[in-house]
Amino acid sequence: MNLPFFGETPVFLPKDQAGDGLLPWVIGVMLFLTGLATAMGLALGQGLDRWSEGLATTLTVQIVDADEGVRARQTEDALKMLRATPGVAKAEVMADADVMALISPWLGDLPIDAGLPVPTLIHVELDKAGVVNTAGLAERLRATAKGARLDDHQAWMASILELVAALRLLLLGIVALIVLSTVAIVIFGCRAGLATHRDSIEIMHMMGAEDSMIASAFDRRYLLHGLVGGLGGIVMAILVILALLHLAEQMGQGLLTASLPGSGVLWWLLLLPVIAGAVTMGTARITVRRALLELV
Amino acid sequence: MISFENVGMRYGMGGEVLSDITFRLERGSFHFLVGPSGAGKTSLLKLLYLARRPSRGLIHFFDKDLARIEREELPRLRRRIGVVFQDFRLLDHLSAFDNVALPLQIKGAKRVQIADHVEELLSWVGLKDRMHARPATLSGGEKQRVAIARAVINKPDLLVADEPTGNVDPEMAMRLMHLFVELNKIGTTIVIASHDQHLVETIGAPVLSLDKGNMTYHAGGKPRDPDETGAQP
Repeated sequence: MNLPFFGETPVFLPKDQAGDGLLPWVIGVMLFLTGLATAMGLALGQGLDRWSEGLATTLTVQIVDADEGVRARQTEDALKMLRATPGVAKAEVMADADVMALISPWLGDLPIDAGLPVPTLIHVELDKAGVVNTAGLAERLRATAKGARLDDHQAWMASILELVAALRLLLLGIVALIVLSTVAIVIFGCRAGLATHRDSIEIMHMMGAEDSMIASAFDRRYLLHGLVGGLGGIVMAILVILALLHLAEQMGQGLLTASLPGSGVLWWLLLLPVIAGAVTMGTARITVRRALLELV
Repeated sequence: MISFENVGMRYGMGGEVLSDITFRLERGSFHFLVGPSGAGKTSLLKLLYLARRPSRGLIHFFDKDLARIEREELPRLRRRIGVVFQDFRLLDHLSAFDNVALPLQIKGAKRVQIADHVEELLSWVGLKDRMHARPATLSGGEKQRVAIARAVINKPDLLVADEPTGNVDPEMAMRLMHLFVELNKIGTTIVIASHDQHLVETIGAPVLSLDKGNMTYHAGGKPRDPDETGAQP
């Protein structure tokens, strides 16, 4: 078969792909793993961006005085001060039921009237991230309502960001290892192919075929191996991710669903077989050209 | 057209298989290369079809100094050379037609042109009915004829043949020699390595004789067409 990109070149390699028939399968497995790792890496990044963006425009104020009357008065004062602050879009007291739901993982499901001194929480929404000087706001809050605490989520966000960054680095490392392994496999496959077809290559060489002409036969073959194997692997990876998404949705686990890649990420994965084809073709080209230089 | 001056050749660190070889092939000349087995005939042919470079000495190829020819220029020169290998070296997965078509494809000839030329030549060597057969299904003589057809399809400037009639019957040998003489008449320089003394005498061309890597030259006349001399197989 002559592909337009490669021009009209003689087909001198046998079609049965002797010596490298397993290569598309190996590339398929590699791309399956790469697909999963890449999707997770991209999803982590996207999920974290969405999540941190949401947190960067919200603040939480805790009024912690044990006396209920004092707490109510301080809450009123804090609300007035917050609503008067430029950049604050909304400041509302969270319902008791919501507060109890927040602490239920630690204390269990308690009735609202359990007599537990639960702090009052004020949910604050900002016009945009960074519009308010949180240090100054915290100081003014303490002046308005003694013991009030302002939580801008940065303390624990920093740890989570570090963890996610480490995870993404790990996934990047895995992808790099897989790509290197694929290149090594293609080099071995190519050398095996060269050994198998050495006689054909020598004949073509002696009849005056240029190195580029001989190499292009291998280019075509390995490009197809990369595309076909890569597409198979990526389709499998996409099916696995879709199955996981389906399961997560059925389980109704918000956190799990959030950490799985969305459909936007899946489209990006379709680029991987093209990259795999380019990598296998490039590797084959370099390997074959180097081997041809050994001939006079 | 081709000249060798004090050419020596060795494989790796081994001893010289060719020593101080000096000769000249004029354009359109016809030479036999003879000598006992191990005399260095195949090594000399390898130098002639540019599969090796000499270890020493000077070779001029189509009036160019081989030592000064860049590797990138060699394919263009090789396309001017037709080679018939002793072991044929046909590509087993290709049909006789496709094997013969390869030099034209490498040259970039048009598909229609290729089909016409290849069919005509295969008919001429008596393989019209076998043109779609794979080498594995061909007899030794048929493979030989395919190899010869592949070597001459491009009307090369130089034809190098290693025992080209070794596997065919005497009648076909004469027919093939007729083809070589015809090619020679249109200007192709021909070098044929052969053990067949009868054939050498019949054609009567000059002889390059190799023994233990050393060459002697025996002048001869213009090659005689076996058809015209009425030579018996």
